[in-house]
Amino acid sequence: MKNPLNKRIFREIKGEAGKYFVIFVLMSAIIGIVSGFLIADESLKTAYDNSFKKYNVEDGNFELIQKADKKTISSIQKEDVKVYENFYIEEENEKNDSIVRIFKNRKKVNKVCLWNGKMPKNDNEIALERLYARNNNYSVGDKIEFKNKTFKISGIIALSDYSALYQNNTDFMFDSVKFGLAIVTDNAFDNLPKTHLHYSYSYKYNNPPADPLGKKAIDKGNDFMNALSEKVVITNFVPRCSSNAINFAGDDIGKDRVMFITFLYILIVIISFVFAVTTSNTIRKEANVIGTLRASGYKKRELIRHYMAPSALVLFFSAVVGNVLGYTILKEYMADAYLNSYSLTTYKTLFNFTAFIDTTLIPLCILLFINFVMLARTLSLSPLKFLRRDLKRRQRKKAFKLNTKIPIIIRYRLRVFFQNIPNYLTIFAGVFFASILIVFGVMFSPLLDYFEEQTVKNMLAPYQYVLKAPSNTNTKDAEKYAAYELKTTGRDFTESISIIGIQKNSKYFKQKIMGDGIIISSAYADKYSLEKGDKITLKEKYKNKKYKFKIKGIYNYPCNLCVFMDLNKFNEKFDFDKDYYTGYFSKEKIKDIDENLIASHITKEDLTKTSRQMEISMGNMMSIFITAGVGIFMLIIYLLAKIIIEKNAQSISMAKILGYNKREIGKIYIHTTSIVTVISLLLCMFITHKAIVAIWHAMMMSYSGWLPPEIPVMTYVKVFMLGIITYAAVAFILKKKINKIPMDEALKYVE
Amino acid sequence: MSYIKLENIKKSFGSGESKTEVLKGISCEIEKGSVCVLLGASGSGKSTLLNIIGGIDNADEGYISINGEKTADMNEKALTLYRRKHLGYIFQMYNLIPNLNIKENVEVGAYLSDNPLNVDDVLKTLGLYEHRHKLPNQLSGGQQQRTAIGRAIVKNPDILLCDEPTGALDYNTSKEILKLIEEINQKYGNTVIMVTHNDAIKNMADRVIKLRDGVIRKDYVNETKTPVCELEW
Repeated sequence: MKNPLNKRIFREIKGEAGKYFVIFVLMSAIIGIVSGFLIADESLKTAYDNSFKKYNVEDGNFELIQKADKKTISSIQKEDVKVYENFYIEEENEKNDSIVRIFKNRKKVNKVCLWNGKMPKNDNEIALERLYARNNNYSVGDKIEFKNKTFKISGIIALSDYSALYQNNTDFMFDSVKFGLAIVTDNAFDNLPKTHLHYSYSYKYNNPPADPLGKKAIDKGNDFMNALSEKVVITNFVPRCSSNAINFAGDDIGKDRVMFITFLYILIVIISFVFAVTTSNTIRKEANVIGTLRASGYKKRELIRHYMAPSALVLFFSAVVGNVLGYTILKEYMADAYLNSYSLTTYKTLFNFTAFIDTTLIPLCILLFINFVMLARTLSLSPLKFLRRDLKRRQRKKAFKLNTKIPIIIRYRLRVFFQNIPNYLTIFAGVFFASILIVFGVMFSPLLDYFEEQTVKNMLAPYQYVLKAPSNTNTKDAEKYAAYELKTTGRDFTESISIIGIQKNSKYFKQKIMGDGIIISSAYADKYSLEKGDKITLKEKYKNKKYKFKIKGIYNYPCNLCVFMDLNKFNEKFDFDKDYYTGYFSKEKIKDIDENLIASHITKEDLTKTSRQMEISMGNMMSIFITAGVGIFMLIIYLLAKIIIEKNAQSISMAKILGYNKREIGKIYIHTTSIVTVISLLLCMFITHKAIVAIWHAMMMSYSGWLPPEIPVMTYVKVFMLGIITYAAVAFILKKKINKIPMDEALKYVE
Repeated sequence: MSYIKLENIKKSFGSGESKTEVLKGISCEIEKGSVCVLLGASGSGKSTLLNIIGGIDNADEGYISINGEKTADMNEKALTLYRRKHLGYIFQMYNLIPNLNIKENVEVGAYLSDNPLNVDDVLKTLGLYEHRHKLPNQLSGGQQQRTAIGRAIVKNPDILLCDEPTGALDYNTSKEILKLIEEINQKYGNTVIMVTHNDAIKNMADRVIKLRDGVIRKDYVNETKTPVCELEW
């Protein structure tokens, strides 16, 4: 015979349909988001990993100052490599002040993935990279105009060697708004002006290293670079293992996985506690029935199973619906988060068993475990205790003493508070978690604005030029500087640090640099928690040579991780000529240097790449954080406050009989929850700030560069107000609930 | 031959100065298939004694043996199994499951037995068959108590423990319930132990044990057993 108690499980769910429905919707949405993310993540990662073989991605590239002749190429190819021409021309798109790097079609290496449309066949046609096209509103059939030529867009593409749109490998962030890629026909390419022609070559090893990103690959790359530098003059060398354009996306896809799963699990723990509190309320209500069942011979485990079933079923169905949503609508949405950031090749949705475990099995286990512990503890009481409705483990001998000078309403409230401490603790935890989500969502835009504002305000000079070769200028106030790139020496994560040599008594750098010491940028100091007097070790990017520095000061420069040192000491340290320099700082535009000798201008746009890219990559996600936060906030406060009211239904009813009016009853039961919610919100603003700063710091440690977690006070005021408005809606519903409690409730269950 | 044997049962509540001795050494024997009434005023210890017999409370001293098996030797699991196999419980408050209908509430009892009575037959016997699809709150107190009786007897227990089964009912309904218990005892031969403070009910019993202040004041076999229909109070 089937356990007849099972029949009441669905009735229990139906009886509390509102509560279970809200939990179901919230959990389905959250599981859907996480599941969608994990599926998109895995599908895109697989597509990315497979792209190396599918599109025959290079083992590296190098750039020469001039085109290599056949003899040179065959000499280079003796170093266990096959070399392919991959020349490009950079054209300026004046319409949006951006650069488009134009290639001929690639037929052997770094092959092109066509997203839609077709590859250019005519000389006036161009295939434009997908992200650049999207961010600048270009689609197939549109025209794109460069200084020297106008093309018709025939197709939208992705280039397998540019999954992250890094213009230069040394850039600390890619930029898919101001930098794009394109393919034209060979003939169209040959007809473009050659002012910005780059003699870039891709190479593939004949015997590739076993670990394409590991030590062997680095060594092989270094060996090849050394051999190459003896044969030709190289202006750029990027082995695949060091290529941000190739590797950054692959490194990043999967990084947020832990964050998403942790987010889900925290929510599941909170929801499990909500279920535990609601189930314990049901047990309290049904104590006499449980006592009878236990006295009749029902086993503890039969009852545990029975009371666990509704929450487990709701979560299970949420997981089913969440996974369906994850595989359909939300997968697209979450994949877009990556596709908005990276120029990935086309992908197929893959069934992801790990996602099923992470979003269904583990949450169910967490829920079952928490509820099991709570139920096993409660149901271990003797049947007699249940029959007597005496569910406290320890009998309090006397009531908690409260000073009688305190007005009765306040004392009454305090009693309600002490009676419901577990509920209020769960409310606090829920408010805290919801606050983190909401603050994260709300702070994002102001944080990026602040970063941009500070970056522009603290630019070293209005104009900063990087030269290809030394060149003099007569521009007034132009000042030479030199730049070099070193790397941090972390075990798991390293990033580039710009070393800038500054002239003595610089007009642009406002701090004095004494002797051998260095001054680091505030961004560097903040990210790595460095202080004046600390010692740092940096290393060469492609060699093992290490440099030790002592920090003599910190310079307010929030936009880049930099080390500033005296120009003479710089040249000495890195074995450059005494008068070596790489560019100019200037207050005005330099007009007397040949444009061919200028490698780049460092503009406001260059320095704000990080914030711009983050806005594009993560901006859409922020509304999800805010919605989820508000949903969780409402749900938790409503459910737990509802339990408090249900638990006190008889007292409320009795208070009505005694003549207390609605306002007075509201003061006792709703105001207590209101006070707890407001205090929780206020406390959470402080704790949330600390938590967000710590989370942000941990998050940024896996990214290159630094965005300071400057959260304006207004952000917290907004979140607090949002919390109050949300609570007002909940309080309104609760008030209605109190008003509905009939006076004869007080007469029920009286034995 | 005695089926249930109680030997020097002692039980107290509280500690120190507030310690109250509720049972002060109860010894008696109850025969199989008999109706035994535990009679006494409020606070005499009768419900406590019933709970100890039912294995939902423990004695501080003494033991109970049922069919030669001592309940004091049983752990919690064994006690649950013992209750499951041998006991049926009826309380003053019916303690029905509010969101199960009448038939399902009876099935809750049937589920516990390997050899339950036919649920529909029980419902017919109890006069509840036509109400079987109703929820408990749609029935009168007497009908609810009948449902509780149905839940207890459907598993065909050896012992039926009734704690003030008519305590919340009016005269006519009380008689109806007592008649039912009498019929069940006659039909199925279960041992019935009934706690009551209603002196008139003792007349329906084979055995009467009168408690006062935790001790047995009277323990006798009722030679003039009266059918329930003739009881008056």
